[in-house]
This record gives sequence, C-alpha cells and structure tokens, in this order.
Amino acid sequence: MDKYLGTVGYLAIFLSSIIGMMVVPAQRLPWVAGVCILVAWRIYPQVFTSLVRLHWLIMIILLSVPPIFLVGDLDRSITGISYSSEGLLSGIQIALRILIVLISVQGLTSSVDISSIAGLLEHAGLHGLGFSLGVAMNLLPTILKSAQNAWRSLWMRGGLRKKRWRALRLLAVTIFVNGLSRAEEIALAAEVRAFSPNTARSMPIKKGKWDWTILTLSVLVVFGFVFIP
Amino acid sequence: MKLSTRELATLAVFGALWGLVEISLGSVLKTIHFPLSGVVLSVIGLIIALVGRVFVPRRGSTLFIGVIATLLKLFSLGGVIIGPMVGILTEAIMAEIVLSIPGKQRRAVFIMAGALGVAWVLLQPFVTGPLLFGRTIFTVWLDLLDLGKKLLGLNPSFAAWIVGGLLVIHLAIGGLAGWLSWDIAKLLQNRLGRPVQGF
Repeated sequence: MDKYLGTVGYLAIFLSSIIGMMVVPAQRLPWVAGVCILVAWRIYPQVFTSLVRLHWLIMIILLSVPPIFLVGDLDRSITGISYSSEGLLSGIQIALRILIVLISVQGLTSSVDISSIAGLLEHAGLHGLGFSLGVAMNLLPTILKSAQNAWRSLWMRGGLRKKRWRALRLLAVTIFVNGLSRAEEIALAAEVRAFSPNTARSMPIKKGKWDWTILTLSVLVVFGFVFIP
Repeated sequence: MKLSTRELATLAVFGALWGLVEISLGSVLKTIHFPLSGVVLSVIGLIIALVGRVFVPRRGSTLFIGVIATLLKLFSLGGVIIGPMVGILTEAIMAEIVLSIPGKQRRAVFIMAGALGVAWVLLQPFVTGPLLFGRTIFTVWLDLLDLGKKLLGLNPSFAAWIVGGLLVIHLAIGGLAGWLSWDIAKLLQNRLGRPVQGF
C-alpha cells in the first residue's frame, strides 16, 4: 500500500475520519464508523490487532456506559435494571466515536513517520521544524536520564525533606541547564558542519500515486455525509 | 519566522521537555485518574514553554515548542492522544497570543499567559467532549459541577459559584505558573551566565 499512498494520502484519511466524526449528524455516525473501519481494514489491517487490548475495552465501557443511566428518562428496563433509550443511543455514539479516534490515530502513526509530518509542516511555513524535531527526538533519552539522575541525587541528599518548593525549583533548573548545554553542543556541531536552517533542504515527504485521488475522495465523502439528505 | 541553528536547538530542548512530561507523567496521571491531572500537566508544560520563550524571544517560538511537544505526543504509545494533543496546541497558541501582544517581555505578561493557558483546561472538555467523544454539553456540565462539589464542597445547586470558584482557582494556578517560569528563567540566566533579553 506504501507504493500508492504517501503522507498526504494517509493524512487525508486521518483528517477526514476525525472531521467526519465531528461534523456528521448523529444518526449517520454508524455509517461513518463503517466506512472508517472498512478503509482501515483495507489500508492498515495491523491496527486491529493493536486495538484488541483490555485497557481500550475498559476505557470504552467507562465512557459509554454512564450515559445509559444518566442521559434522558429511564423509560425501559432489562432484567429489572432501568435504563434510558436516549442514553443507550448516546452511549453507542460515544463508543463509535472512540473507536473511530483510536483507529484513525493508530492508523496514521503506524503508517506515517514523524519526519514526514515535520516535512509537511515545514512546507506549510514552520521552517526548521524538521531539524528541531530530529534534535528533540534524539534528546528525549538524554533528558530523561538527566532528569532521573537529578531527581535521585536530590532524593538521596534529603533535598525534599525541607524547603520542598526550593528543591523542586532547583530540580527544574538542573534539568533545563543539562538540556540547554546539550542543545549548545548540538548547535555547535551543526554549525561546524556548515548547517544553516535557511539553506537546508526540507524533510522529505513520502509521495504516493493515489495521494491526490484519496484527498479528493476524502473531501467528497465528508461533504456527502454532511450535506446529502 | 526564520530561526538560527542555535535557536532551533534551544526550542527543540524545550519541546522535548514538554513532550517528555506529556508522554511519561501524562500517561501515568491519566492511568491512575489523578485529580486535576490536566491542570498539573498544563502547569508544567506552560512553565517549560514560557521559560523557552525567554531564551528564544521571537514571535512564534512558544507555538513552535507546542508543535514539537504535540508531534512527540502524537507518535507516543498508549491512551487516546487526541485530547492531550488539542490541549497542548491550544495552550501553546493561547500563550503565544498573549506573549505576542506586548513588545517587551514582562512578568505580568507571563502571569497572564500562564493563567489563560491553565484556564483552558477548564473549558477544553466543553469543546473536545461533544466534538470528539459525542458527550453532551449537559454531561460535561454535570462532571464540572461534580468536580466543583469535590473540590470546593459546594452543593451543585450553586452552579455559578462553583464555576466562578473553579475559574478563579485555574487562573490563580496558571498565574503562579507564569510567575514561577519568570523566576526559573532568571535563575537559569544566572546559572548559565547567558544574557537573556527582557531582564
């Protein structure tokens, strides 16, 4: 599928799913969910295996079950438990929306890499984002390690027993200083290699044969769901 | 906005810090249903972004930090990340707008940016709840009153007092975050011996 779909195509599918879910009238939501599931099953089937997890199920239940008893009048009952038919519909809608969000996000993140998104945003005007994002991603483990070390040394010296506020402020300063000195090193290394954000090429965007077709189709599908009576 | 290599690397550090807080602490707090976890994350994130603004005092730098943190959050594992992503980006946009209005950096502007950024945490469920999760405004409203009841000990019939009280608390916490970020930036300036504009 990578041959046919690039960053723009995947992003179009993601955005149309989210926008569609947000703007489509509630009675058409099952159709939107159906289309999303079908598209995801065809384009990124691996998403479904990652979604079969207990914590997702618990989250969907936690968010969608309360409205069954809280929204509207308790006009029906099943095995002695009263529930609201309006709330039941609302609960189903919430569950469908969560499902669409989960599928869309997992699908996008499993198909597109972070540098492609950065490349797209660079083309949109955020010059240097690709470089910054690359630096940020490389810095994550260093910052985490430095933060852990600072926290442990503060803890071991009993810094949190008295003057906790001051200790926390010092912890923040230590983490910032470590990060900034690392940034200084990276900037120097980049400058030594004659890197300049003004002359550097933007991050590459993965292109696919069907990108613009998918983009047009996505727009049409969303418009269709919203405006066709 | 054209930034130098050094400025880009500095923004990367602050973006990585905000992203790291959202990825690690954010996931933990949401999992254990920590009360007011949104406020805690927003305060830490805004402190980082505001300190970053002192080091790169250019229009758009706070938003740039927010975009980096959002992208790092997008590609992190676990949880429904759309809500936090909207939160990070909106807080960064709000702080950026407040910081961009006056020309010079001042503590008062930082306090205002922090206050508005944290106040967004109170409003966000009214936007993302109905739009993303199909929750009715009424359900979100009930949740808000419930939070007010737990925090302030007020009866839900005093809705206006609850909303006012929560708003004041959020604004005060945000203002404190702004105040603190100014102090931390000053401390950092002393520690690094680096002249920073605005002081």
